[in-house]
Amino acid sequence: MTTVLDRAVPPAARLARDRRRWAWGLTAVVLTAAALAGAGLFSGSVLNPGGSAQFGRFATAALRPELDPGFLSVVAGSALVTVAYAVLGGGLALVLGAVGAALVSRRTWGRRRSGWLAARGLLAVPRGLHEAVWGLLLVNVLGLDPWVGVLAIAVPYGAVTATVFADLLDEVPGGGYEALRAAGAGRGTAALYGLLPSAAGGLLSYSFYRLECAVRSAVVLGLIGAGGLGYQLALSFTSLRWEQVWTTVYALGLLCLLADVGGRAVRRRVAAPPSPGPGRDPVLTTAVGIVVALVAWSLWFLALSPAALVSARAREQLSYVASAAWPPSTQRSLLADVAATAVDTLAMSVVAVVVATAGALLLAGLAARSPGAGPVRRAGGALVRLVLLLLRAVPPPVWALVLLFVLLPGVLPGALALGVYTLGVLGRLVGEAVEEADRRPREALRAAGASAAGAWLYGAVPALTGPVLALALHRWEVAIRDTVLVGLLGAGGIGVLLSARISAFDWPAVATVLGAIVVLSFAVDVVAERARAALR
Amino acid sequence: MSTAPAARSGGPGNELVPLLPRISRRTLLAGTGAAVVAALAGCGGSSSAGPDPARQLRIGAIPDQDPEVLQRLHATVADSLADALGIPVEYRPVTDYAAAVSLFRTGDLDLVWFGGLTGVQARLQTPGAVPVAQRDIDADFHSVFVVNSSTGVTPADDLRPLADLRFTYGSQTSTSGRLMPAYFLREAGVDPEGFPGGPGFSGSHDSTLALVASGTYQAGAVNEQVWLARSAAGEVDPAVVAYARTPGYHDYHWLLGPRAAERLGGPDRLTAHFTGLSPDRPADAIVLDLFGAGAFIPTEAANYRRIEEIGRDLGLVS
Repeated sequence: MTTVLDRAVPPAARLARDRRRWAWGLTAVVLTAAALAGAGLFSGSVLNPGGSAQFGRFATAALRPELDPGFLSVVAGSALVTVAYAVLGGGLALVLGAVGAALVSRRTWGRRRSGWLAARGLLAVPRGLHEAVWGLLLVNVLGLDPWVGVLAIAVPYGAVTATVFADLLDEVPGGGYEALRAAGAGRGTAALYGLLPSAAGGLLSYSFYRLECAVRSAVVLGLIGAGGLGYQLALSFTSLRWEQVWTTVYALGLLCLLADVGGRAVRRRVAAPPSPGPGRDPVLTTAVGIVVALVAWSLWFLALSPAALVSARAREQLSYVASAAWPPSTQRSLLADVAATAVDTLAMSVVAVVVATAGALLLAGLAARSPGAGPVRRAGGALVRLVLLLLRAVPPPVWALVLLFVLLPGVLPGALALGVYTLGVLGRLVGEAVEEADRRPREALRAAGASAAGAWLYGAVPALTGPVLALALHRWEVAIRDTVLVGLLGAGGIGVLLSARISAFDWPAVATVLGAIVVLSFAVDVVAERARAALR
Repeated sequence: MSTAPAARSGGPGNELVPLLPRISRRTLLAGTGAAVVAALAGCGGSSSAGPDPARQLRIGAIPDQDPEVLQRLHATVADSLADALGIPVEYRPVTDYAAAVSLFRTGDLDLVWFGGLTGVQARLQTPGAVPVAQRDIDADFHSVFVVNSSTGVTPADDLRPLADLRFTYGSQTSTSGRLMPAYFLREAGVDPEGFPGGPGFSGSHDSTLALVASGTYQAGAVNEQVWLARSAAGEVDPAVVAYARTPGYHDYHWLLGPRAAERLGGPDRLTAHFTGLSPDRPADAIVLDLFGAGAFIPTEAANYRRIEEIGRDLGLVS
C-alpha cells in the first residue's frame, strides 16, 4: 500500500542535499549504538550454545508438522474463527476510520490548528496500545463475548485508518470541494462529491491493506485467549509441541498469503487500471463484493449481537474497572520501573528495526520479482518470499521463546524476535518497492557493461534509499507497540511490567503503565514523522 | 492520484474515475439496506439459538500443564458434570491465568479449576464464590527447584546457592511455579527478585524445563506433579536435575461463582459429585486421570489463607 501511496506523489527532483538529513542520520547512528549497547551486545557474550539442541527441536519440527486428521480439522475450524475476527475487526475499523477521518481532516478544522491538534492527539490513545492490550482490557469488561476480538482490532486500527484516510483526503486537490462549497453545498455534500471521487483509489487500496493486517492481528488476539488459530498456537506452544505449532504456523502462513495476494491484486488494479473506459472494473467490483459477503458471513458465524455492548453487565464491569483504576498509581518505585522498562522497550524497538531493515535490504533484490529472470533466479525469489512469509506468520512471542534457547536472558532475545518478525513484513514491502522502482537506470548501466552488483548499487539503491527508510520509520512505530506484545508474554520491556501488574490486578498501576505506553508510542510517532519529513 | 487536476476529475481519461464509478444512489442505498437487513437477521437468528445461559453451567480450566490434552478431553469432563447435575455444561477454554480470573468475575465462567493464588484472586474479586473440591494431592502440594547439571550445584536443602544462578519462574501468578517457590526462597534468605539479571518468567512449567535444559537459565522452579509426570515419561532432558523439594502447601481447587451457587443451591451437589468420582468406573477414571488425581476431596476457603498472606507480601494480591 505504502508503495502505491508513495508513488502517488512523485518526488520533485532535488539537486541540493537537505541538511536536516545529516542531523537525522547522526541521531539514528547514536540511537542504534545506544540500543545495541543497552541490549548487552558490547558487554560480554550473549550466546548460549547449550540451547542449540532445543532450538534444533523447534527447527526440525518444521519438516514434520502434525498431520493428524483430528488436529487438522481443529486447525481448519480455528482458521474460520480467525478469518471472521479479521474481517469484522478490519471492516469495523474502516467504518470507524471513515467517521474519524472527518473529525481529524485538516479541511474540517480549517485554520483552527489547535482543534486539529487536539483531535489528532485524542487518536493517540486508541492508536498507542497494541491490539493484544486492548483485548486484555476488553476481556475485563465484555468477558467472553466475540465483541472482544472484533473491538480489539477495530479500535486501534480505526484510529490508524482515520489518520490515513484524513491524510488521503487532505492530499486530494480541493478545487471541486471549494467550488461546491462556493455554490452553496453543505460540507458533507461537498466532501462526498468534491473530494471522495478523487480519493477513492487511495482509500480502497488502503482499506485492503488494513484487511490484510487484520489477519495477523486476529492471530495475536488468539494468543491472549480470543479463539482462532492463535489460540490453538498458544495451546500447542505452552506445552512445547513444536509439530503442532508448525501446523498452525503453516495454516497462518496460508491465510496471510491469501490476504496478501488478494490485497495486492486489488492495489495493483487501483494503481494501474487496465482500460480507463466507462463501466465498473470487474476485478474491483468482485473484490468489494467478496468482502461484503465475508462480513455478512462473519456476523452470522460469530453471532455478534450489538446488545452485548450496552448490556447491564458490560456497564457494571466497566464501572468496576474504571473505579478500580482511578486514580492511576504515582508510587515512586512504580514510576522508576516504568522509566527503566520504557528505555528497554525503546532499545528493543530500535534493535528490531535495524535488524529488519538490514535484512530487508540484503534480501530485497532477491525477494522482488524481476521480469525476464531465469528459472533459477525465479525459484530463488519464490523461496525467499516463502521464508519471509513464514517469518511473519510465526508470532513474535514464539520467536522470543525459541531465540531465548540460544541467547542469554535480557532484552536481546525479545528484540531479535521482533526483528525477525519485522523482517518478514519489511522484506515484503521493500521487495514491492524494488519491483515498482524505475528499472531504466539499472538496465542502462548493465547495457553499458556494468556488473549486476554494480548496476544494483549505482542504479537501484540510490532511488530506493528514501522509500526504504520511510518504510523502516513507519515500522518503528509499529515495533514499539509490538514490543509491548512480546513483553506481555515475558520477553522484556514495558510489556513485562504491564503483564505483571495485570496479573496482580493492580488496576491503578495498570492505568499508569498504559498511560506511559501511550506517551511512548506517541513520542515515537512524532519523531518518526519528523524524520520522514526530512526524507521527503 | 493527488496530482490529477481537479478540474478534470470527472472527465474521461482520468485514471481514477473507473474505480468506483456510477454506483447510482439507488443502487448504493438498496445495497446498504440489504446488507444491514441481512446482518440484523443473522444476529437475531443466531443469538436466539443455543441453550439459555442462565440454565447452563460454564466451566473453565487454566491450562497449567497440558492444555492441549485438556482441550481435547474437555468434553469428557463437561459430560460427566452434565450427567451428574442434569443441566447443560459447556467447557470454555482459557489460555491465561489473569483472563480466567476476570472471566470468573464477569460471570462468563461459573466453575473454574484455579491454582491456589488465582483462586484467592478470583474469590477476592467475586464476593460469594465458594471452593468446591480439590485433588488428594492438592492438600499437600510441592514445588521442585531444578538446576542445570553444568552448574555443578549438588542437591541440597539449602536454597542459598541458587541466589547466584540465572533463575526462572513459570507463569507470573502460578502458585507452584512462582508464589510458593518465591516464598520459600525468601524464608531461606534469598531475595526472590534478586537473581542475576532479575528472575525470568517462562510462562509454563514445560517452558521452564526446556529453558533450564538449554542453560539459558541455570535454575528454575516447577510444579512437582509436572516434574514427576515428565520424568516418568522420560521427557526431561538429562541436563536438568532436581535440586530441592519445597514443604507442602494447598494448591489447585474448583471454585464456584456466586450466581451458579445460587442456582445450584450451594456447592454441595458439586462437591458430592467430585468426591464421588471413583477410579473403578471407567468414565470417572478418565476425568481423574485427566486431572492427575487419585480422588477429589472437599476443601474450604481457610485452606488458602496462607497463600493470600504470601500473595499480599509479594505484591500479587491487591
